[in-house]
Amino acid sequence: MAPNKNQPLDFNRRIKELTKSKGWASFWAAIMAVALGLVFGFLVMLVARPNSAIAGFRFVALGGFSRIGNVFYFATPILMTGLAVGFAFKMGLFNIGASGQYTMGMFFAIYVALAMDIPNSVHWVVALAAGMLGGMIFGFIPGVFKAMLNVNEVITSIMFNYIGMYLVDMWIQSNALLYNSAMTRTRYIPSNVQIPSLGIEGSNVNYGSVIAIAIAILIYIVLQKTTFGYELKATGFNKHASEYAGMKGKRNIILTMTIAGGLAGLGGALAILAPSAIAGSSMTYEPINIIATAGFNGIAVALLGNAHPIGIIFSATFISHIQRGGTLASLVGYKPEIIDVVIAIIIYFSAFAMIMNNALGSFIKNKLRKNKEKDQSNSVSTEEVAE
Amino acid sequence: MKKRFFAVFMAAMMILAGLVGCGGDSAPQSSEITLITDKGNIDDKSFNQGSWEGVVEFATANNIGHNYIRPEEASDAGYLAAIDLAVTGGAKVVVTPGFLFEVAIYEAQTKYPDVKFILLDGAPRTADWSVFETKDNVASIFYAEEESAFFAGYAAVMDGMTQLGFMGGMPVPAVQAFGYGFLQGAEVAARDLGLADGSIQVTYHYTGNFDENDTNKATARTMFQEGAEVIFAAGGAVGKSVMSAAAEADAKVIGVDVDQRYDSETVITSAMKGLAASVIGVLESIYKTDSFETYGGTSTFFNAANDGVGLPTTVLDDPNGDAFDRFEKFTKADYEALFAKVAAGNFEILRVIDVEDAAGNATAEELTSQLGLQKVTVRIRR
Amino acid sequence: MNDYIIEMLNITKEFPGIIANDNVSLQLKNGEIHALLGENGAGKSTLMSVLFGLYQAEKGEIRMHGKPIKVNNPNDANAFGIGMVHQHFKLVEVFSVLENIILGIEPTKNGLLEKKEARKKVMALSEKYGLKINPDAMIEDVSVGMQQRVEILKMLYRNNEILIFDEPTAVLTPQEIKELLSIMKDLAKEGKSILFITHKLNEIMDVADRCTVLRKGQLIGTVDVKETTKEELSKMMVGRNISFDVDKKQSSPGEIVLSIKNMTVASKTHKNNAVKNVTFDVRAGEIVCLAGIDGNGQTEFVHGLTGLEKIESGSIHLCGKDISNASIRNRSVSGMSHIPEDRHKHGLVLEYTLAENLVLQRYWQNDFHNRGFIKFDQVKNYAERLIEQFDIRSGEGAETIVRSMSGGNQQKAIIAREIDKEHQLLVAVQPTRGLDVGAIEYIHKQLIERRDSGKGVLLISLELDEVLNVSDRILVIYEGEIVGELNPQETSPQELGLYMAGAKRDINRGNQHGA
Repeated sequence: MAPNKNQPLDFNRRIKELTKSKGWASFWAAIMAVALGLVFGFLVMLVARPNSAIAGFRFVALGGFSRIGNVFYFATPILMTGLAVGFAFKMGLFNIGASGQYTMGMFFAIYVALAMDIPNSVHWVVALAAGMLGGMIFGFIPGVFKAMLNVNEVITSIMFNYIGMYLVDMWIQSNALLYNSAMTRTRYIPSNVQIPSLGIEGSNVNYGSVIAIAIAILIYIVLQKTTFGYELKATGFNKHASEYAGMKGKRNIILTMTIAGGLAGLGGALAILAPSAIAGSSMTYEPINIIATAGFNGIAVALLGNAHPIGIIFSATFISHIQRGGTLASLVGYKPEIIDVVIAIIIYFSAFAMIMNNALGSFIKNKLRKNKEKDQSNSVSTEEVAE
Repeated sequence: MKKRFFAVFMAAMMILAGLVGCGGDSAPQSSEITLITDKGNIDDKSFNQGSWEGVVEFATANNIGHNYIRPEEASDAGYLAAIDLAVTGGAKVVVTPGFLFEVAIYEAQTKYPDVKFILLDGAPRTADWSVFETKDNVASIFYAEEESAFFAGYAAVMDGMTQLGFMGGMPVPAVQAFGYGFLQGAEVAARDLGLADGSIQVTYHYTGNFDENDTNKATARTMFQEGAEVIFAAGGAVGKSVMSAAAEADAKVIGVDVDQRYDSETVITSAMKGLAASVIGVLESIYKTDSFETYGGTSTFFNAANDGVGLPTTVLDDPNGDAFDRFEKFTKADYEALFAKVAAGNFEILRVIDVEDAAGNATAEELTSQLGLQKVTVRIRR
Repeated sequence: MNDYIIEMLNITKEFPGIIANDNVSLQLKNGEIHALLGENGAGKSTLMSVLFGLYQAEKGEIRMHGKPIKVNNPNDANAFGIGMVHQHFKLVEVFSVLENIILGIEPTKNGLLEKKEARKKVMALSEKYGLKINPDAMIEDVSVGMQQRVEILKMLYRNNEILIFDEPTAVLTPQEIKELLSIMKDLAKEGKSILFITHKLNEIMDVADRCTVLRKGQLIGTVDVKETTKEELSKMMVGRNISFDVDKKQSSPGEIVLSIKNMTVASKTHKNNAVKNVTFDVRAGEIVCLAGIDGNGQTEFVHGLTGLEKIESGSIHLCGKDISNASIRNRSVSGMSHIPEDRHKHGLVLEYTLAENLVLQRYWQNDFHNRGFIKFDQVKNYAERLIEQFDIRSGEGAETIVRSMSGGNQQKAIIAREIDKEHQLLVAVQPTRGLDVGAIEYIHKQLIERRDSGKGVLLISLELDEVLNVSDRILVIYEGEIVGELNPQETSPQELGLYMAGAKRDINRGNQHGA
């Protein structure tokens, strides 16, 4: 862990610093973005079913609180794919291939769970590690293409979404150990390979969510506190300057994509190895030639979280919260399709407003600075605006 | 700028505050009959849609609250959670279309003894297939797909077609039964017509999915180009791809599950399961005749004998319409004659054959020998 | 009637946190060249943006021929005959020169472009003012100088009477500058009124009739150029006396620090090599200047020297160690410090804080990390020491985001970083580009201080004054070759210019190739 050599700080000063920091400004920007999204979501519900709009919106906005276990359970995969997108984005790479990496991770986990003989106590851990490895392979390849041949990672990673999905579907369908043809899906994963549940009633929430949040924090530490994170962000901000400073750009591209792939792959493994509330049952994968949506949702999560690992924890949880609440809205007669529209509107308005974050964030920051300068009327650097 | 943002923010805060304040003023609307969709959408032209139409028809006529819910996750636990939600929402009857609900219903039938479940195309069981038990509050409904497809195959050959195609979704029991019945119907028709051995060619294909996509459309287009006059599309939304290919190739399609003549001019008939009819039948036993025990606690097969499968005989909104107007020779009278024979059990129509392949893809040899095909030659398209 | 074509009276323009123009007035006479002088951040560009309609002033008014006018946007400005050449050109790269000139007011016939007339008019203007262009070339293919001529023609094509030039010489070579200044004189002779934003005193002395000086947003005064001196103007601009003569002792070269033999570097833009067979040494305690007109292989040479590009052939030895194929990091560790040509592209990570930028070359050293974890307190202490030592000014000290700092202070940060790092050789590439006189003076002092402390300094510069004043030895590069070695005390700007233009060439240099 990071050496903590900070002297104890005066609490008030700390708060003051916090409220004037850039992070604080973006936090407020995010809150406002979400508020804006909710307003528009409510308008759609009002149009769709005026009489139930208040009750329905109440479910959408607050219903998630009554299902907190499920909120975290469903947030876990998109948290991981969000990290996969956001982490690569910090280096200026757009990892659209989280879907393929996710699917590959899922497959590796399924394979280890169903086709390999491993002692019970560590079986699920090995399956998780395998899932991460699967995702890493599918992040590594576009990374190598980018670093060595300068092939745009967007193109390769999109292609690898398809390659991964078709490969996995093919491998699963041709392996009777994995595939239950009568049910057109993979066989049930034995309970000893499932991730231990957190035991919250009415929810499958499990240690996977804890692992995901821990990993997000770990990624945060890597980005903020380590020389690798320093190099990675420097490369993302200014490739030329990082090269000038002697950083190994190619190595870092491959490493970043591999880690990003590993994050998405772990997300796939966490999803498929989730425990089931029903004895003998489990999650299954249905090979029907569909690209995993978790990968694309990861883009929205990363965008809403401003590619910041901690922000991504919140954005994934928020999106899951809205979705869980949305499901409840069917109790007052909303059709699933309308709920989908409302959720999409909330998420996209929020994300759209986040794009405006820079404008908004710097506006708030300027405002704060102006106040500060009025207090002190000292001459700070004036060049920025005047020249 | 600043003011506008604060205005929006305050508005949002006020709405949220209002919501917290005015709790249960709007009681959940009664959804006494709730359907839970399978993986697809409600308009899947298949199980979801067919059974939902039955729910709507019955509930509207009898003024009963109804709604549908989509599970958050396509897993046994996810289906069970959806059932939980339906019951929370006040459901007294839960309709679950498709065998994927088998495990969830097994759990739910004990959990909610006062709720009645209508499980289509499946029977409650445990995840490991060790226990099959249908409690009294569950009506398990099956369909004789092979009979329905038998009619379709028979009609196509009787109408003069010799080059047929079959595009199933994935080789699951229901889709397999459709394929086998289709081949058997074609064989019987060829014999009735006195055609020579091998005079009917059937291209037999599983798409591997239940989707509308370009690959499926391209496959259908190729099959039409290779000479197929009609394709029996037995795979949910695969039908949409086949219909669009048929429209371009000026060829014909046989629909599946529900009457699909309204989706495309190319659909000459449909191998229907009486999804709506069976749901209505069970609902009537609950609400009208108070005779749920006839369905509850057991599996009921809907076949020709109890009018549970067949080809469409009426046209929507047109009492005088001819549902067979898209055939050249085959008529409603021909169909009714055949139907009577099948209902009487005159033919032995196989539903299951032994298939070597783990995924369930039968070989041409397996089909020919086990279904006793002579007039029909089968070509497998992988 | 009024003598003044444009008057800006008591203009006040505020931005969050600062007053960019505080009660500033400026009066432009018909047909004059009026210089607007000030340090970076003095408010020159803001004032001109107010005139051009990009900003609205909070207080004050603009008058034209004595009548108040309102300029709400650049279109209004255009309608009043005000045109502006921005520091960063506003041209469409994939359009031709002609298309760019007529963009926005294209003549059409039946809805189709009618370029013939436009071409005639453009070519006539080009002829009249000596603005040589190739009307059919794509903007992305033509030189910076021609792009600027295109911008000027754009104004003339629109019949603008008041021409604003925003630091037009910053991007030009000495030859191009000379050409531009004479064009400006011609334009004034033809009756155009010119506002000329600059911080280069020589140019003002050369062309301007009058000069208005701003400092920190305030008007210092307007003077007649004929009646003032450079020293006077610089004092008005900076607020203190500036020494133009670089004060330095005789150099005493020692050991060879850098030895380059037959270095050849490929070009990225054409098939020929950009740097051909270059051979020279730099000794400890001397400043060697590589002089030349921009685009004669300096950039490629520096890239080859510092490792940003691979060299084709030849060798580089630093303090006796062969670094011909060493990595960038390895060269840096071996004792090479590098002040890059483009500080935004190579020198800084603008989104990083000042502290993070100050350790850009040494974050990986054990002082600054513990098993991969950065020691932020050490980084901060180190940054604060450099900030103190090199007088780097910024809003929030070590925590300032570098993007918000002024160009001069950004450059100071780079210099601090490169000088404080262990080094034997300092490669400084155009270290004073785009900076005001105060900053230039500071940087020259630093270079000489390095020399005097026994380091080798390799200065790559386009500025004749700098070349002659700072260096101990001048090497002239022309088309990728070293064509002459001159002693700054013995040569003249004229002679240097001849070498730089390729008109004169030292044969002896060529004979060294075999050595």
